[in-house]
Amino acid sequence: MSAEAEARARVLRVIAAGRRIQDPNDPLGAEARARLPEVTGLDPRGVELALSAHLETQPTDAEIDTLLARTGRAPRCHVVLAANVCTAPLRALVLAAATSPDIVVRPSRRDPVVTDLLVRALSADEAFVQTHHASLTRASTIAPAPGDELHVYGSDASIEAVTRGLPAGVCVRGHGTGIGLAIVGADAALDAAAEALAWDVVPFDQRGCLSPRFVLVEGGEPHVERFVQALDAALARAAERVPRGPLDPALAAEITLYGASMEAVGLFLARPSHAVGFDPSPRALVLPPAARVVHVVALAPEQAPKLLAPWAPFVTAVGAWDDGALARAVLERAPFARCSPLGAMQRPPLDGPVDLRPSRA
Amino acid sequence: MTVRPTSEALHGRVRAFVEGILRGAPPEPFDDLALALARFQAAHVPALGRLVRARGIDLASARDAAVIPALPCDVFRLARIAAHAPDEDTLVFRTSGTSQGKEARGEHPFRTTATYELVALRWGERMLWPDRQDLGVLVLAPSVEEVADSSLGFMLDLFTRELGGPVSFHVRGGVLDIDGVARAAAEARAAGRPALVLGASFAFVHLLDGAGARDLSLPPGSRVMQTGGFKGRSREVEPTELRRAMASLFAVPEAHIVGEYGMTELSSQLYEGTLAAALGARSPARHGVYAPPPWMRVTACEPTTLAPLSLGETGILRFVDLANVDSSVAIQTSDLGRVTDEGVELFGRAPGATPRGCSLAIDEVLSRGSS
Repeated sequence: MSAEAEARARVLRVIAAGRRIQDPNDPLGAEARARLPEVTGLDPRGVELALSAHLETQPTDAEIDTLLARTGRAPRCHVVLAANVCTAPLRALVLAAATSPDIVVRPSRRDPVVTDLLVRALSADEAFVQTHHASLTRASTIAPAPGDELHVYGSDASIEAVTRGLPAGVCVRGHGTGIGLAIVGADAALDAAAEALAWDVVPFDQRGCLSPRFVLVEGGEPHVERFVQALDAALARAAERVPRGPLDPALAAEITLYGASMEAVGLFLARPSHAVGFDPSPRALVLPPAARVVHVVALAPEQAPKLLAPWAPFVTAVGAWDDGALARAVLERAPFARCSPLGAMQRPPLDGPVDLRPSRA
Repeated sequence: MTVRPTSEALHGRVRAFVEGILRGAPPEPFDDLALALARFQAAHVPALGRLVRARGIDLASARDAAVIPALPCDVFRLARIAAHAPDEDTLVFRTSGTSQGKEARGEHPFRTTATYELVALRWGERMLWPDRQDLGVLVLAPSVEEVADSSLGFMLDLFTRELGGPVSFHVRGGVLDIDGVARAAAEARAAGRPALVLGASFAFVHLLDGAGARDLSLPPGSRVMQTGGFKGRSREVEPTELRRAMASLFAVPEAHIVGEYGMTELSSQLYEGTLAAALGARSPARHGVYAPPPWMRVTACEPTTLAPLSLGETGILRFVDLANVDSSVAIQTSDLGRVTDEGVELFGRAPGATPRGCSLAIDEVLSRGSS
């Protein structure tokens, strides 16, 4: 079997392990559903949504071809996971399996659940271990050697901390934190756009780097305010099906201050399940707390470059209702962002890292 | 319609209040003046008008300044916070805001700086030179010519002009001239004239790191004012350690090292009272406790409701600053602190929520250098 075919076979075994976690009738799936609400802070229905709809277990052959083309090859691949959404370990380990048969993973201290379950599933997977001579080891420390690959997930600061002092010759791929933003063009059907966008906001309670935090809406204040009201209603409906997890006091405090700012500049709609802030004439963007809090601004395409300039390096995902002038202006500023229709921002194909920006390391 | 006549009248009332209260005889109650300012601002600063309406507050019938909604500092970069038109600006102070580019910096426009100057000088004088010493001044910050929109630069320039003695600036183009500081210290020693050293905390760290064997000791009676944090511009040093090292470097008592707290969005400043106490101008004071001027009211607020907390409880700080005549008299910060009978204890920025995903956290953005 060629090295390429071996890599593909390993990737498929990791995805198969992911399917066990996705299955509520599999003991691993049941354990994930039992442990994740407390660890992640998501409501149990939020966990179910994450596992059933956002664990990438059905890639196409073409997506895997692209994923394999985007990964390197190394004798060993070390993975350091931190502060990612609960389903992220699957893609991270798929990428590692594409890179090497010898994988060492250090799970997130706060959320080791899915990593642990994948390690358990793959260690018991005869095809992975014996047929393809692969191994997946859980470790509390990592010590990459020259020639190895190191995949680090987390904030830029934690990537820097992990990679400081590494021996020369270690290939580091840093996957940093990011933000998603959504675009609603002038001709969009506001209710439909709001409904679709709500289902980009709800998964993971907006904690993923693909989650839209900003929504740029083309049009005058009354038009955009209609969208704000529609989004508020859509988020409320979505919360009836998938409630937001409990807020910790620091997050609640961030929402309060953000809300006070929005009350001053435009409009703030605060609900028990979510909030929407609206700035009708933005001079700058303000990052809302990541807790189903969406910052909406009214924007003309020609204003986009200036407003987005400070944020462009962080943009990992763009969801757009159409490919109008505003969408084009935004994508010009964020060329590495994953682009998708509204409603599909949180379902990126398994064709490589979620974050396609150049390595943060 | 210009707001100038009303604004002028309010500036006059505030200046009379400042002069009066320092003599122990304020011409009117604090709350009356604060509410007069709030009514003026709610009518002429759109952001404040919206905030008042959103909260359903009836300022017309209010009697207590506690009801005035406090404007979060962030709003100074999202909207123009001024009662007057832009063409009446005489000066605009801007936050450093380096993480989000020049366009995203907070702005505090001034139609007149007369009230700002009065309050800065009156409280500076009480807390930094209550003994009216003939002081030279060493400034470890850029001159106001270099940073024309910095409120700190403006205030330091004001102090140097007020004191009238020899002045030297030792940061140019972002570079600290340590040899220049040594020369100025030597000149102060030769003249036997005590000095006031003014600067940002990170500049003092660079000075400590680079001073080597240079003699930076200053004549008796010298004193130091430090302000601001480090914001990634130097290594972080614990306040006690920094103070001790500075006292040793300049050969001044630790009580003569005074912390200042100010921000672009405010017009008044707070100081540690240790120097004034050591000089017999105030009751005993300790480091870490900041004294607000009597034309400013500081309240710790519960972070999730913004409701005022009792004395001694820790919360995020809200300032009612009467000197903010043409902007917002009440400001809500995200700085943690505790207000006691002694003054205001500052504990730094309230920690943000623990990131539980890969979405960018607010703290991560702020730690990149935003003010």
